[in-house]
Amino acid sequence: MRDETEEDIEQIARELRVPVAVGRSLDARIMNAVRNLPRHTGFGLWSRLITPRTVTVTPLVWGIMAAAVAAFAVLGAMHAGQDLHRAAKPIASALFPAPKAADRSQRVQFVLVAPDAKKVAVVGDFNGWDASHVGYQAQHRGGGVWSVTAPVPLGHHRYSFVVDDSVWVADPTAPRVTDYDYGMPNSAIVVQEQK
Amino acid sequence: MEAGSSDAVVVARVLRGDVEAFRGLVERYRDRYARYAFHMLGNREDAEEALQDAFVRAYRSLARCEDPERFGAWLFRILVNRCRTLGARRGRRARTFVVDEVALLGAAEEHPAGATAWREEIDRALQQLRGDQREAFLLKYVEEMGYDEMSQLTGVGVSALKMRVMRACERLRELLSEVYDA
Repeated sequence: MRDETEEDIEQIARELRVPVAVGRSLDARIMNAVRNLPRHTGFGLWSRLITPRTVTVTPLVWGIMAAAVAAFAVLGAMHAGQDLHRAAKPIASALFPAPKAADRSQRVQFVLVAPDAKKVAVVGDFNGWDASHVGYQAQHRGGGVWSVTAPVPLGHHRYSFVVDDSVWVADPTAPRVTDYDYGMPNSAIVVQEQK
Repeated sequence: MEAGSSDAVVVARVLRGDVEAFRGLVERYRDRYARYAFHMLGNREDAEEALQDAFVRAYRSLARCEDPERFGAWLFRILVNRCRTLGARRGRRARTFVVDEVALLGAAEEHPAGATAWREEIDRALQQLRGDQREAFLLKYVEEMGYDEMSQLTGVGVSALKMRVMRACERLRELLSEVYDA
């Protein structure tokens, strides 16, 4: 019985594995679109080092980095005298420029009441919609309340809760987003810098 | 592109400013991934849009491709996400049309026979699956991926994926049962 049912699905799959050709004009359309984008100018490792990427930096880390910059400047002055001391400031600011909005984050607390859940995770565009992301696993706080406090970059984001690895649940306390993925409910959040 | 050029070599050329080298990657992966986009979205026009979108996004973010040797896998991940977004955006609009079209075809062709009709029935049944089940089925049975690989690609747990595949198989059997019987 099992073999028979496996065979019927395999028969369907064989039909679907047949290659699907697309119009040759697609190549031209893609290349035209690509030519209208800024040309890459990077070189190997250096391009990787200077490539913008999302880095979550909490205020605490910025404090440590600022202390490191200050220590760098002071040591520089001790070893190279007043001239180098004057130069240390621009060097430091070049090494650690002021963070852009996308590189900064705030810690956000996500809370869901799910008494029957065995596992709750937060997924969103800030963690690649990855339900297994370690930093976004909610903990059961008792009484069916699950929560996690995690960094979210400044800006507008979509997110959802994933219960027991399978059920997507929108945050009942947040606005819904109309542009669904698969009809799965998403919530909207705006993370702003705390003053 | 030279036939033997690895993805990493081509990616490096593009990153050094050789825009035209990107055509090699387009030619290498266009047809390979068209099948998934076509089955996921149900028509050639949307599939081409998803493919174009995926390639353009890949080009724009090429410097962030952490393992250029596996550019194809990275591109496929982008395509899967684009198909999700396009499918969801058009799902509600198309649902009425698909149902009507199915009813129309069913009325006109009650007893399909031959390979073409069989293939049409499969396509039609596939489009009636829920998007997440269709995605899981295609990745498992058509792209022939393992569950761990699927989980990494989709961000969905293995147990949930197995459930989706099982439901998809059940639904396909149900939808195609009349064709089997015939």
